[in-house]
Amino acid sequence: MAQHAGTPTERIYVHPLPVRIWHWINALGFIALILTGVQLRYVDLIGLMSFRTAVHLHNWIGFVLIANFFVWLLFYLFSDKIRVYHPELSPMKHFRGSLRQLQYYGYGIFRGDPNPHHVSVYKKFNPLQSMMYQIIMLLLVPLQFFTGLLLWDLNRFAAAVEFFGGVRVVDTVHVLCFIFFTGFIFVHPYLASLGHTPGAHFKAMVTGYEEVEKQPD
Amino acid sequence: MGSGDQASAPLRGQDNMVRGSTRSHFAAVLAALTMPFALCATARAADTALSEADTACLGCHSMEALAKALPNGETLSLHVPAEPYARSVHRALGCTTCHGDIDTSIHPAPGKDIQSLRQYSLDRSQACRMCHAGAAEHYEGSLHAARVGAADPIAPVCTGCHGSHSVTPRTAYETCVRCHSADLAAHGEWLPNAGHHQEVVSCAACHAPAAPRMIDLRLYDAAAGGWAIEREGARPFQELAATADADGNGLDATELRNLLAEVNRDAPGPLTLRGRVELREDVLAHRLVAKEGAIRACDNCHRYGSEPFQNVTISITGPDGRPLRHPAKTEILGSALAVESLPEFYAIGGTRSRFLDLLFLLALAGGIGVPIGHMTVKWLFRKQRARRQQSGR
Repeated sequence: MAQHAGTPTERIYVHPLPVRIWHWINALGFIALILTGVQLRYVDLIGLMSFRTAVHLHNWIGFVLIANFFVWLLFYLFSDKIRVYHPELSPMKHFRGSLRQLQYYGYGIFRGDPNPHHVSVYKKFNPLQSMMYQIIMLLLVPLQFFTGLLLWDLNRFAAAVEFFGGVRVVDTVHVLCFIFFTGFIFVHPYLASLGHTPGAHFKAMVTGYEEVEKQPD
Repeated sequence: MGSGDQASAPLRGQDNMVRGSTRSHFAAVLAALTMPFALCATARAADTALSEADTACLGCHSMEALAKALPNGETLSLHVPAEPYARSVHRALGCTTCHGDIDTSIHPAPGKDIQSLRQYSLDRSQACRMCHAGAAEHYEGSLHAARVGAADPIAPVCTGCHGSHSVTPRTAYETCVRCHSADLAAHGEWLPNAGHHQEVVSCAACHAPAAPRMIDLRLYDAAAGGWAIEREGARPFQELAATADADGNGLDATELRNLLAEVNRDAPGPLTLRGRVELREDVLAHRLVAKEGAIRACDNCHRYGSEPFQNVTISITGPDGRPLRHPAKTEILGSALAVESLPEFYAIGGTRSRFLDLLFLLALAGGIGVPIGHMTVKWLFRKQRARRQQSGR
């Protein structure tokens, strides 16, 4: 988000402690899961560690992240901060906001236009983020964890595996999610570097405070 | 299959023997007295498929009480369960093929020199070699034979694993687990998903490491909860497979789908394919090694293009329990077109899908390329941004 010199700014608390803890554990965990996942899938091409070590690490980190997911879920379920995930109920408004945001990332940002989205305590996501994070956190992450759990012990969950179409189907879903998150893990920090300074959003995810342009009262 | 528990494993398969019994010689007299009744009973139990000569043998030997006291105090049971024998693969051979040393004109001859049950087992196993020379040769190079050579009293000879009079085709798993059940749990100490591995990997695939392996995709009857068995009267599986494989170079994904549709056309319940890592030649399963020499490295199977995945067959269990196979192309294991046909077989790395590999590469290229491209365009626009900032717009 571009901020012009001399514009008055204020610090707002947008990332509560549980969210920050969840975020960084999740970030490191996902990187580790991707690396161990790549090792498992491409043992003929990559030799970061033994296959067995990769299996054990992948399983343990997976369980840590499942527990971590519930930290995120419970925090938002029992906090008014859940409003940041409330969807925009007007499709037209959401569509216009998304288009504006796309236009900014695809053109305006190059010219130095200001970010059309203004961060506030209950509206920290722009329309694109809002849609993406709902899909990611409520669909893709649970799907990844669920399929991973089934694959962790195929005999224990044999009935569920069969219900969902067999081990190959479950694994294919797991791998498709893995492919998505591999792309995401590169794009996400880049987008996070597009704040008024490259480190602004990273710093905010450590301190909890975003520095934003002061809005007129 | 480990060797650690062998000392505690029960003596197996010597089903014609019992230990420590006090049954006496009058069993032979009893046998003579009851022979007419026994003949009738045996004829019913063993069905008419038994030859006349075998029926005569079983006239005495189907009696449980028939036994012989040995000099060392052990008792050798002379009982042959008629029905299992009639169902065994050896029924067609007849008693005298393996027991050719018996002179029926003087049988039962007194004074046959049998010192112990163990010695009898060792001697009798020579009869198996008459037909199974290849298996015997591989067995001689095995851990089991080495134990026998070292006078281990419970080391198995042929009958230890295969039985004697009730020989039927069994999977390696069924055969091995009879003695090595305790080792199943021990696998879980180091092998992830151990239970699943034991279901889909033949014991010998790891414990006979020199043997070439393959993937056998076998028809499974989920409703019956077991391997599908070729039904009498149904069109033979191998004929169906040969028809589906029109070009004769192995079933591809489309041909496999057609074959499954054909197989399921008249099947009472849906038949699906379940994959197993098996030996290409069953006879090589006799060349078992100590657990220290068994395959433990995961990438023996979980590496793309690894040896077991170079040969693929589609099979059904034949009426006699033996698999009836038809070759398939290796590509079906990773083909997106075969997901529907093979929903239940997947090995990480080994059956990698090229389509998913391509998607992964695109995601990787996009994940790295999009930020680099965006940064590049931003850099190219840097002067325009600076001018706009200077002009205060």
